[in-house]
Amino acid sequence: MLDRLSLLKTILWALVGVLAAVSVVRFAFGLGAVTNLSDAAPWGLWVALDVMAGVALAAGGFVVAAAVYVFHLEQYRPFVRAAILTALLGYAAVAAGLLYDLGLPWHIWHPMIYWQHHSVLFEVALCVMFYLTVLALEFAPAVLEHPCFARPAFQTIARGLRQATLPLVVAGIVLSTLHQSSLGSLFLITPYRLHALWYSPILYVLFFVSAVALGLATLIAESLLSSFFYRHKAPLRLLSGLGLGAAVVLALYALLRLGDLAWRGQLGACFDGSWLSRMFLFEMALSTLIPMALLCVPRVRSSLAGLALCAGLIVAGMVLYRVDVCLVAFARPEGSGYFPTWMEIAVSLGLLAACVLVFLFLVERLRVYDDPHVRGAPQPSYDPATLHNLLPDELAAPRRYSLAALLGGCLAVVFLPLGAPQPVATAALPARAAAGIAENRQGEPGQTLAFAVPDRPLPADAQPASLLVIDGNRDGQMVLFNHGAHIGRMGRHESCALCHHLSLPLDRNTSCFECHRDVYGPTPLFRHESHVKALGGNAGCRQCHADDSLPKTYETSTACDQCHRLQVASAALVPAPAARWHPAPGYVDAMHGLCVNCHEKSAREAPEHYSPLLSRCDHCHDPDRAEQRQPLAPSRP
Amino acid sequence: MIEHPAILIDTTLCTGCERCVAACKQVNELGHDRPWRGQQAVDSLSATRYCTILRRPGRRYVRQQCRHCLEPACVSACLVGAMQKTPEGPVIYDPHKCMGCRYCLVACPYGIPRYDWDRAVPYVRKCTLCYARLKPGEAPACVESCPEKAALFGPRDAMLAEAHRRLEAGRGKYLKHVDGEHEVGGSSVLYLSDVPLDFLAWQPNLDDRPLPQRTWASLAKVPPIIVGVAGLMTGLHWIIGRRMKAALESAAQASPSPAGNDDAPAPSPGDEEHHA
Repeated sequence: MLDRLSLLKTILWALVGVLAAVSVVRFAFGLGAVTNLSDAAPWGLWVALDVMAGVALAAGGFVVAAAVYVFHLEQYRPFVRAAILTALLGYAAVAAGLLYDLGLPWHIWHPMIYWQHHSVLFEVALCVMFYLTVLALEFAPAVLEHPCFARPAFQTIARGLRQATLPLVVAGIVLSTLHQSSLGSLFLITPYRLHALWYSPILYVLFFVSAVALGLATLIAESLLSSFFYRHKAPLRLLSGLGLGAAVVLALYALLRLGDLAWRGQLGACFDGSWLSRMFLFEMALSTLIPMALLCVPRVRSSLAGLALCAGLIVAGMVLYRVDVCLVAFARPEGSGYFPTWMEIAVSLGLLAACVLVFLFLVERLRVYDDPHVRGAPQPSYDPATLHNLLPDELAAPRRYSLAALLGGCLAVVFLPLGAPQPVATAALPARAAAGIAENRQGEPGQTLAFAVPDRPLPADAQPASLLVIDGNRDGQMVLFNHGAHIGRMGRHESCALCHHLSLPLDRNTSCFECHRDVYGPTPLFRHESHVKALGGNAGCRQCHADDSLPKTYETSTACDQCHRLQVASAALVPAPAARWHPAPGYVDAMHGLCVNCHEKSAREAPEHYSPLLSRCDHCHDPDRAEQRQPLAPSRP
Repeated sequence: MIEHPAILIDTTLCTGCERCVAACKQVNELGHDRPWRGQQAVDSLSATRYCTILRRPGRRYVRQQCRHCLEPACVSACLVGAMQKTPEGPVIYDPHKCMGCRYCLVACPYGIPRYDWDRAVPYVRKCTLCYARLKPGEAPACVESCPEKAALFGPRDAMLAEAHRRLEAGRGKYLKHVDGEHEVGGSSVLYLSDVPLDFLAWQPNLDDRPLPQRTWASLAKVPPIIVGVAGLMTGLHWIIGRRMKAALESAAQASPSPAGNDDAPAPSPGDEEHHA
């Protein structure tokens, strides 16, 4: 029977396994292979959650350090180490998350040498870099307490670091203030993309204040979780103090946020009933109004369940605030939505899991919490009476965790797209010219071409021909296409625009299905009389209605494609060189490239037969009506 | 190379023949299109298409490309200076500096830069105003290939003058506005049009205030914040520490028994006034 801690670790290891598998694909094939990011949504879940929310979740570190070292609120000292460790790991996760999110992660060190001080992101990068160092130095004494660093040299370092605590704490507060607010400043440059309910000239103040609230809530949540998993008593009185602090900060945040909206005259927009206005109300209620009201009630504040609920609400709500600014309220072109792939979610979860595992590893070995329960007290290794081994199998836990990670990784591999991302199939597939063998069937000018399979003896009058094979419906099925017959049937030259309707490179010309509505199924378009005539009157009935005993319906008849073998068997084809595969030309290209050029040439070679008129622009483009930009005026005589 | 080069596009002359697109693709060696998700149409701007023709109702054709703003948001956003405003004017991109953070894609008010999403080594892609061609004195490929002279190329002052001349001459033919003259501080690709060109930006009616100024408003506060917060925190630490010590001492004098424990709330400032 697993205790809850082992169960947690097993799940976390499985998540890390998934992360490892996804990482391989991410770095081998690029962002496009694992994310749903696009030019319309250049920042996705990793920026919103791992960077924006991750930094804010780690704000507890500087808040508690300030409370204890600057404001001398000594009663919160027991929280300091846990808060600093959380912040350290949180920022490490941010850096790791950036490695996934950056297009060129091996350039992550560039801000150190290429300075661009007009960029908010530069400030954030430097601050995060320095703060990570400061946090590491702040936490180092806890590591150096461990027996393996007993040598005097290490102790001298630890003593030096302890003496430098105050400067480090002050530096940490300054750096946190700067970059927590700068994460908001990042969006000051997008006044036209960020919805008015979120865009504010004081975004940086809002981000800072909400980060303080979020940091306090994270501390409460973390303390409650560790007391749950390590089965020790939560310091309820201290936590309720933190809760009161969070309520005060939330009140300040609500005042600033709503006051700013009122100042900008946007309060009405909260209630305009749009989807985003409802999102705003939901976010405000979740992150601020409900937890603030609850925390003001002393009974809620001093109960475990009440604190857990409030901390959960604040964490969820403030993370949602960042997701809203980054993704939800950020304008994108119509119809190009963004929702993260399971792989993006897996990376975010996996990084979180890795952090929690490191956190657990460290709290079990170092004096992070002042609680012997957490640091597993030494147990006797054998029963002195019976000499039976009392220690559990030492390898059982590692074995279980490895298995979990391996299973997680394997499960991920099953679903991973293994291969470079393909361009999204919005492009028309190219038409393909193929060299085939033509067989002339007498009397049917519309159906003059048929394929001869190479191993079948050719009819005597068969001629090699160049055939056009197209994928008109863009469904991957190539069919033989008789261009001349189409021109003839559709009304000569006036008909070009029916298929080549606009001049777009890679134009999606009218698909076959637009006219041949019957290609995919039973159809009222089937013309029985013309088939009767073509098949020789009554003598031909049996060609379609082969079985007399069945009623003569569409379902019982020979399928269309049994006779109309338009579908090209690829074995029968010798494809033309790839250079001759191309999307069907658009209208302008078709007219200019084919008609005009050819007429020019013909008119030069045989002026007596061909008029040079068509090679003149104004033959088609009527200069008198230039202002209407008619691409094709009726031809002049 | 001319100073502050600009392109003036007269959308009423454009026939949408897309020779500019073809020329751009050829000059920049962009190859076949690789449409990516989120792309509005096959022929939208993309990593393989630096300029494109937007078709609007009533046979209006508007070329979309990088505007080469006078105060570009993408340049101010780029944390390593990979996006650069050259002294001559074009906004160019240095792939060797880029980290791939894509803040430039986020920041651009016209939504121009594109990314190589399908590449393992991706770069930002956008028009460079044919910077390499401008040096020997040639015009950008798109301008040179325009058969209708719908796009003109020259110094920005001259282009603006020509635009205003046309506005005067063709009274009523155009909307009385040169798009790009003042928007977000002005740009080097100017439009004359008889239909509103709102669709080129994320929102209609862009402000004249350059976007970098908005972030600079907060960035300029960084040095005062560093000094202020550091000073405030050190000062508070010292003052509160001193007052707490004084309070403890006076409490010890008042009653010899040790006062309070660790959990006692810090003395409120009001109390301390008396002891100080």
